Amino acid sequence: MTDPRLSLPQISSGGPGGEAPPGVGSGNTGQLPGELMMWVLILSELAVFGAGLLAFLAVRLTDPLGFAEAQSHLHRTGAAANTLVLVTSGWLAALATRAAESGEIRRLRLLLTPAVLLGAVFLVLKATEYADLFAQGIGTETHAFYTFSFLLTGFHAAHVLAGMVLLTLVGWLATPKAVETGAAFWHMVDLVWVLLFPVVYLL
Amino acid sequence: MSRVTKAWTWLLALSAASTVLAASGVTGAALALPVLILSGLKAHVILRDYLRLAEAPGWLRGFDLGLTFLILAFAGLALVA
Repeated sequence: MTDPRLSLPQISSGGPGGEAPPGVGSGNTGQLPGELMMWVLILSELAVFGAGLLAFLAVRLTDPLGFAEAQSHLHRTGAAANTLVLVTSGWLAALATRAAESGEIRRLRLLLTPAVLLGAVFLVLKATEYADLFAQGIGTETHAFYTFSFLLTGFHAAHVLAGMVLLTLVGWLATPKAVETGAAFWHMVDLVWVLLFPVVYLL
Repeated sequence: MSRVTKAWTWLLALSAASTVLAASGVTGAALALPVLILSGLKAHVILRDYLRLAEAPGWLRGFDLGLTFLILAFAGLALVA
């Protein structure tokens, strides 16, 4: 007999001992794929960055011209390039997850290595922008725009750095569960960036 | 082409569309609305195919709903300014 509760979205916490979580790679299961705690983290990060971006836009109402002038000092082209860098890195991490599930350890490491290197490219482009702003005498206290933009993009960059460490670690562990969890963190970093980029750099 | 690779090509295309819009010189609502919609579509693709919520349609709808509210709030604040 079918339990009616099972028709609701369900949560899988994954199997023990580094095994692939139930439902992974098996099509439409209705279950939340991967580690529950990673999803809690993803939701938390979306809430934190979402609130930060809403506060940024709310403060912008008090000085739209000042925000527009301050925004013109940012590296829009570098930030747009960084979007391509992160979505490509995320693609490699997603392919690595599939390689891990099929037991292709060498392939998953070959995929995770450029994924981590692209994370480094992201940080180099971000550091270049910060260095340029500092050279112009711009800091977090210069204008409310910079207080928010340094805080939001700096916090995001810290997540990129943490993700690079995590991907390196799961590449070494090379179990399906570890790789999926590490890749999920990396996709969360990607997800936050696609929301942050238009608000801070384009609007 | 695998689902993940299709998602990647979509993300590249959506990012390129955002760049073209921003470089076109349009401002105000003509820039904010399409750029935020493109951003929401990118987030949907990442959730659906990179994070595999295509396997859990109920959860995907929940995340999409939350993102829609967030993007509507972004749009509202951007258009008021």
